[in-house]
Amino acid sequence: MQNFQQNLAKLEAADTQVLGVSMDSMFSNNAWAEKIGVTFPLLSDWGGEVTKEYGLYNPQYKAARRVNYLIDKEGKVVEMQLDNEAIDPTKIVTLCERRKTSGD
Amino acid sequence: MRRGLWVPVFGMIVLGGLASLDRVWGQEKKEAMPEPTVKVGDMAPDFTLRDTHGKQVSLHDFRGKKSVALAFYIFAFTGG
Repeated sequence: MQNFQQNLAKLEAADTQVLGVSMDSMFSNNAWAEKIGVTFPLLSDWGGEVTKEYGLYNPQYKAARRVNYLIDKEGKVVEMQLDNEAIDPTKIVTLCERRKTSGD
Repeated sequence: MRRGLWVPVFGMIVLGGLASLDRVWGQEKKEAMPEPTVKVGDMAPDFTLRDTHGKQVSLHDFRGKKSVALAFYIFAFTGG
């Protein structure tokens, strides 16, 4: 999430809202957001309903798989990054900027 | 003499235990990751979740206004 925070200005400039989602409680997300200085929403999927709907529930960890989605203004998934690939959001930032300039 | 036997016996029990633990862990590592059901080209399923202040945030809040970078992460207080 720190990597998204570092790129937040660029993403916002490219009309992109960042949302983090995990199965943590609101309270641990709040403490964590304050600790690492995240200013975009960290959403609590307590119980994992959304995580399961996206097919990302890992029963071994009882948590989500690490995945980034880029969803366009119409609600369609245009990019997806999995696991280690999802740690660095540069690809998503570049894509957002390109889409913004091309008027998509 | 009898006491001298305990060391190798105990050692074998410990080693046996470690070996079976390793087998269990090895299997878990090989277990498949969950396969995402939402992929590029799909409509992202709508959701409503609470942020860290208890405010409800929905995916449809941004429809027609902004793109959304949706980042699922494993646990708070870890690297990602």
